[in-house]
Amino acid sequence: MLEHVVNGLVLGGTYALVAMGLTIQYGIARIMNLSFGDTIIAACFGTYVLFSTLQINPILALAVVVPLGYAASLLIYRVIMKPLVDRAPSDGALEVDSILVTFGLLFAIQGVLLIFFGGGYTSYSFLNTPVNVLGTAVAGNRLLALGLSLVIAAVLVLVLYRSRWGMMLRAVALAPQSAPLFGIDTDRAARTAFAIGGALAATGGVVVSMFQTFTATGGVVFTMKALIVVILGGKGSVPGAIVAGLLLGLVETFVAAYVDPGLTLAAVYTVFLVLLLVRPNGLFGKA
Amino acid sequence: MTMKPSIAFPVAAAVLAVLAAAPLFIPDYWTGVLLGMTGYVTLATAWALFSGPTRYVSLATVAFFGVGAYVVAVLNEALPYPLVLLSAAGIGMILALAVGLSTLRLAGVYFVIFTFGLAELVRQTVSWWEVNITYTMGRYVFLPFEGRHIYWQLLALAAVTLLISWAIGRSRLGLALKAIGDDEVVAAHAGIDVTRVKLLLFVISATLITLVGAIQAPRWTYIEPSIVFNPTVSFMTLIMALLGGPMRLWGPALGAIPLFLLFEWLSVSFPDHFSIILGLLFILIVFVMPQGVLAKIDDIRKGGRA
Amino acid sequence: MSEALQISNLHKRFGGLIAVRDVSFSLAPGEVVGLLGPNGSGKTTVMNMISGALPCDGGTIRLGQTDITKMKPHRVAKQGVARTFQLVRPLPTLTVGENVLLSLAFGHRRHWGREARELVEEKLAFVGLAGRGDEQVSNLTYIDQKRMEMARALASEPELLLLDEWLAGLNPSELKIGIDLVQHLQGQGMTVLLVEHIMEAVRALCSRCIVMSAGEVIAEGPSAEVLAQPAVIKAYLGDDHA
Ligand SMILES: Nc1ncnc2c1ncn2[C@@H]1O[C@H](COP(=O)(O)OP(=O)(O)OP(=O)(O)O)[C@@H](O)[C@H]1O
Ligand SMILES: [Mg+2]
Repeated sequence: MLEHVVNGLVLGGTYALVAMGLTIQYGIARIMNLSFGDTIIAACFGTYVLFSTLQINPILALAVVVPLGYAASLLIYRVIMKPLVDRAPSDGALEVDSILVTFGLLFAIQGVLLIFFGGGYTSYSFLNTPVNVLGTAVAGNRLLALGLSLVIAAVLVLVLYRSRWGMMLRAVALAPQSAPLFGIDTDRAARTAFAIGGALAATGGVVVSMFQTFTATGGVVFTMKALIVVILGGKGSVPGAIVAGLLLGLVETFVAAYVDPGLTLAAVYTVFLVLLLVRPNGLFGKA
Repeated sequence: MTMKPSIAFPVAAAVLAVLAAAPLFIPDYWTGVLLGMTGYVTLATAWALFSGPTRYVSLATVAFFGVGAYVVAVLNEALPYPLVLLSAAGIGMILALAVGLSTLRLAGVYFVIFTFGLAELVRQTVSWWEVNITYTMGRYVFLPFEGRHIYWQLLALAAVTLLISWAIGRSRLGLALKAIGDDEVVAAHAGIDVTRVKLLLFVISATLITLVGAIQAPRWTYIEPSIVFNPTVSFMTLIMALLGGPMRLWGPALGAIPLFLLFEWLSVSFPDHFSIILGLLFILIVFVMPQGVLAKIDDIRKGGRA
Repeated sequence: MSEALQISNLHKRFGGLIAVRDVSFSLAPGEVVGLLGPNGSGKTTVMNMISGALPCDGGTIRLGQTDITKMKPHRVAKQGVARTFQLVRPLPTLTVGENVLLSLAFGHRRHWGREARELVEEKLAFVGLAGRGDEQVSNLTYIDQKRMEMARALASEPELLLLDEWLAGLNPSELKIGIDLVQHLQGQGMTVLLVEHIMEAVRALCSRCIVMSAGEVIAEGPSAEVLAQPAVIKAYLGDDHA
């Protein structure tokens, strides 16, 4: 029982982490990014390559993969998203355009990964020693993953809610039309937000790769779960993403443990639908 | 289309007759190409039936397509063929009703997200069912069909789909759909039951898509979830319909024909890079529509009428 | 005799804001009644609740003998309620004629085919858009869009017409045409609830007025009397003028 709670929290922690990335991209940059999960998978493979060929430990890999995720996302925003943002006559049109373009991007990233790594399941063994937590054995890499997720999430929340810069980003999320009136460069905010989202996806990828197997085609499921967490938490709400992420991780782990591992996605969908019908604006969304 | 029905119908009937006769004169390989093309013409037209006017982008094409194929795989030895097809259509319809009822009253973006993961959900659930309940993984389809038999069935389905699309475009329902695409609030105040209209169209569209999967199933002989729930199918259908213009009767078909041939050639010439090329091509298509896809849809619509 | 519209104790809140508080009034058949009040007093919200666009948080709305409180907009429309919107909402991908045809096809009485086409032409002619059914909506001027919206509302052959500042934004000569149009409807016995800021129009059209302020009805009665009440003047113009 306790073992499942810990495992659920580990999984939930990573969901919360990546969902924060997605919610920042959607809430501030207004891009609904369907290739988000493939960014995560790309980071998984990046970490794997660093670890298995160069013996670089995943924690150090963060220092390489995360800036790469940031830079790549920045580039994608500049080249692909910006023209769409500029030409979109309305938020609705941008939403459709961004969904379509990132759907294309998903296939492109997946194609690249398939060429390099093939379609099979990949994993590596890092810190796989059991650690005793309150009487149950938990793999060290899982604990590390949970720790990393919590620390990074906490830093992000602090930055968003305590710094000037975070306030600017939140202002753009709340009032995109009036933010420029206060001298906020919304274009820069959007660009930065999209890149931060990419960096968080990369972080999530590094963390996930430490304790889970992954495949080149697994991005869709990650995107799906991150999207569900974002919606459950309320669009653009960081605390919401954290709570919803942990909830989803627990639900998934318990279903896998007590019902059947093959039904986790079905369980996630059910939670999603029920909550959507009961609280259409998410747990923390404004009415 | 600007052609009068009195001319258009005989022309369409003649084209249909030529297409139906084609397998008797061309090599089997080309019958196979025609078959695949007809499948995508039907998929794209059926997709656009719902997603064109309502602007609810459905990414779940392969969920229904796969269900159709799988039902045939499960039932092909248990029931006579027409009943198998009927069951497939019925199951697709029920699935569409369930999805539609739970998502269509919500904002469009929830629908997109839900459909995005639906194929994966159905695939995992079917796999789970097969492994844990029926103890099988992979099934064989034994039906006495050659390529041209499947092709003829698909051709008939394509004709029916186009006919349905044509009839809806001229009916009260078609007007309601256009109004919903423009402004749901105004549509509702004019007396349209918006959720019901969307649901009805989604179910019609999904049922047709399910049938395409069901009819094509015998082509594989061996079927397992990862084969029939291949997300590329959703993706290609979407590109084809968007390229051709989902608001026109012939738009999706006109998009499907060249793109299918292109994809066929690409998948043979660059089997490893297919997915990348597909993705980039799609991004390009979204980009060459300078005012955004929605505006492009409107342009085409105005251009078509003027 | 039964009322055409009877509203009792209507309530609506948006989060912490009470937009409509305990509002009750009724309209007799064939009556044209003005619903007045300063900006943000809750007039549009009342209209939205009658037409089903917003759910009520309390109270009841009866149309003749029918309780329409909980009905969705399309069902309210089928009961014979039609409306215009404060900001015109033409359907841009439909032609002018198709915009009107829409409420003929789905509204209170359902028409389709040749008969519907003739009715569209009739409604367009009534609002002064004769022969313009095939035009794109985007080519219409502002007043013509307002006319089209009126034709769309009338096409459902409603028993109750809700006009939300339909006359706003018109120049003096257009205003005259607009007032004539509503008077014409009045002559045909249509029941109309009219939200309006233009006093000239209210005096010309409404035998009776209901005045709202901050979500509550503060005055009700024959137009001339109500408009002269100090409380009404105060609500509109502030304390200095009372
Ligand atoms: N959907 C909504 N959500 C939140 N608040 C709303 C909503 N609609 C209206 N309000 C608020 O309710 C109050 C009443 O608004 P309403 O539009 O009914 O006023 P009104 O009398 O029509 O004003 P006007 O003359 O400007 O049209 C206002 O304070 C408005 O901000
Ligand atoms: Mg108003």
